[in-house]
Amino acid sequence: MIKTIFFTVLTLAFFYIVWINNIFAPHEKYEMPPEHRMIAMDYKNAKEGRELFIQNCASCHSVRYDAIYPAQVQANPMLKQLQEKYGKVLPRDVYEAVFMNDLNSMKESYGKIPPDLSTIYLVKGPEYLYNFILEPQKVLPGTAMPPVMTGRPEDTAKIIAYLMSVSEPSPAEKAKRNIMGVVTIGYLIVMGILIWIWRERILKRMGLH
Amino acid sequence: MIGRIGRWFDERGKLSKLWQSQMVDYKVPKNLTFPYAFGVMATVAFLIQIISGIFLVMYYQPNIHTAFDSVNYTIMKEIPFMWLIRHIHAAGANFFLAIVYLHIFAGIYYNAYKKPRELTWIVGFFIYFVLLATALSGYLLPWGQLSYWGMVVTTEIPTSIDSAPIIGKLKIGETISVWMKGGYELGQITLGRFFGLHIWLLPLILLGLVGFHFYLIRAHGITSPDGREIDKKKEGVPFHPYMTLKEGVYLMVYLAIFFFFVFFYMKHFLPADNYDPADPFKTPAHIAPEWYLLAFYAIFRSIPNKFLGFVMFSVALLLLLILPFLDFSPLRSTRNRPLFFVMFVVLVISSMALTILGSMSPTPTVAFLGLIFTLTFVSFFISLPIISILELRKYKAEGGSKND
Ligand code: HEC
Ligand code: HEM
Repeated sequence: MIKTIFFTVLTLAFFYIVWINNIFAPHEKYEMPPEHRMIAMDYKNAKEGRELFIQNCASCHSVRYDAIYPAQVQANPMLKQLQEKYGKVLPRDVYEAVFMNDLNSMKESYGKIPPDLSTIYLVKGPEYLYNFILEPQKVLPGTAMPPVMTGRPEDTAKIIAYLMSVSEPSPAEKAKRNIMGVVTIGYLIVMGILIWIWRERILKRMGLH
Repeated sequence: MIGRIGRWFDERGKLSKLWQSQMVDYKVPKNLTFPYAFGVMATVAFLIQIISGIFLVMYYQPNIHTAFDSVNYTIMKEIPFMWLIRHIHAAGANFFLAIVYLHIFAGIYYNAYKKPRELTWIVGFFIYFVLLATALSGYLLPWGQLSYWGMVVTTEIPTSIDSAPIIGKLKIGETISVWMKGGYELGQITLGRFFGLHIWLLPLILLGLVGFHFYLIRAHGITSPDGREIDKKKEGVPFHPYMTLKEGVYLMVYLAIFFFFVFFYMKHFLPADNYDPADPFKTPAHIAPEWYLLAFYAIFRSIPNKFLGFVMFSVALLLLLILPFLDFSPLRSTRNRPLFFVMFVVLVISSMALTILGSMSPTPTVAFLGLIFTLTFVSFFISLPIISILELRKYKAEGGSKND
């Protein structure tokens, strides 16, 4: 009995550390004021954030999963034709091949092609993005990204809300997934209990108890 | 009507006879404990991987330019419910490996590798090894930063042979590395071949090995937790319904936990850095392998010489393979073997400690602790022949013969 408890606790603690919260692994922490966090986490700000993104960031960055392309690509007449053929979200190989000249000229200006931001929210999380967008030089010294949002933390938070909306499922979708999850888990637990009851009965009948 | 079709089929397929002989007449010890259910759970985990994998290949594109988008846009955002399939496949791989580890440790605890089951153990070892290769190749497919750089590090492992004294001159390691990648850099050829390995060759090999493993288990019957071979006619209980329903309950609990992660906690199984598309010009800050390889990584890293690290890492795997021959004691099951119990605890704690050390930044302290736990890890295997001799002596003194 003691052995069972010992091994169970040890195993659970182990998987807690490696799967859920590795207190030993290195972590980077960035701060974000709670009121701006609230704005960034609110899906309703995504629409406004999208406008702000187009005004401030889309001159350099694409969000391909939302069919937002850098200004120079947007100005290229090929874009419309390609979108008619492939749909609004262009395949990456087509995009990079056709707009190679536009992308290369941005590379010449900034030293590298400004990255596509479709999944950046999932990679970096809101705290990093908040600090980076407000003060790029402080977070990534020597970066080619200009401080376009200095002194506008609310708007920055709204842009983050937009980036979140591109990567994460919408609240309605999330609610649907949560219900699916609860139903699935509930079903399995009920089945487990039913199998247990059934087993008790059968074993009693067979005299195996 | 349905009954008649069923009877027609059964008269020709003889399935009910198969069921009767393999499930009902098959007798198992009555006192099987919870760890015996890990085998069934592993089987289910394997089926889950195959089924979810078949759906993933329908939308996945094994092309370095489009692989990332096919996973993160088409599968995750565009096609309904494919996010669920990906969550199941990614969490499933981790659960599969976790269960296989638990299954291995349960086997060690109950000495399930002893005569006549050595071959069952060896086949199980190869299942584990091929499974690692399957998971590793699958992890490359989303073509994110971790996929890419994880594979860069993996394909560099053989090059540590080249720092050996004399054979290093032959550059065998580099040849193997280039051969694995299909070129000097990771590229389309690498992705293509790992895709092929991942979606059919390795799963097929696994399927064969698992089938053989099952056959051997049925052929020898199952061990009992107290180490006695049961007299199947007198003591055993029918596998069905006694064990099937009991393990069915465990299985439901297992699946409930699994689906909790699938729906609510994918942060670890789909790590953030892998949402960054692979970029050969941008090395990420921390490259660590997946958790199931961290123990080997820690062993490798804590030994200052690369070649010795490689040797140590291979020795650790080899020791696991030849475990049945290191432990030749007549006693079975840790319940009867206090010395073995102590060393088993040492083994469990060193494996866990090595895994956690592998996830930490490589400071000198971590390297030192890694060395200590590598030694304690190996000490388990070294102690086995010694324990066996001690137990054999005591056993003979008490009048038992080795062969009963
Ligand atoms: C003048 C062009 C330009 C504009 C305008 C611009 N960026 Fe950038 N951005 C860059 C470049 C260049 C980089 C690459 C920096 C690097 O990796 O050093 C970058 C990088 C980034 C990154 C990635 C940071 C990382 O750690 O990898 C994010 C996030 C980002 N920009 C967000 C934004 C947002 C949001 C806006 C609008 C408010 C914006 N950028 C406006 C040029 C620009
Ligand atoms: C046998 C055990 C298997 C294991 C352990 C396994 C493991 C994995 C892992 C770890 C990934 C990466 C998941 C991610 O980060 O998204 C993956 C991806 C993938 N696997 Fe498997 N897999 C198995 C079987 C299969 C089979 C049988 C198929 C196909 C029939 C398959 C098809 C795929 C595809 C298409 C991907 C890429 C999509 C994606 O990354 O989500 N897998 N696998």
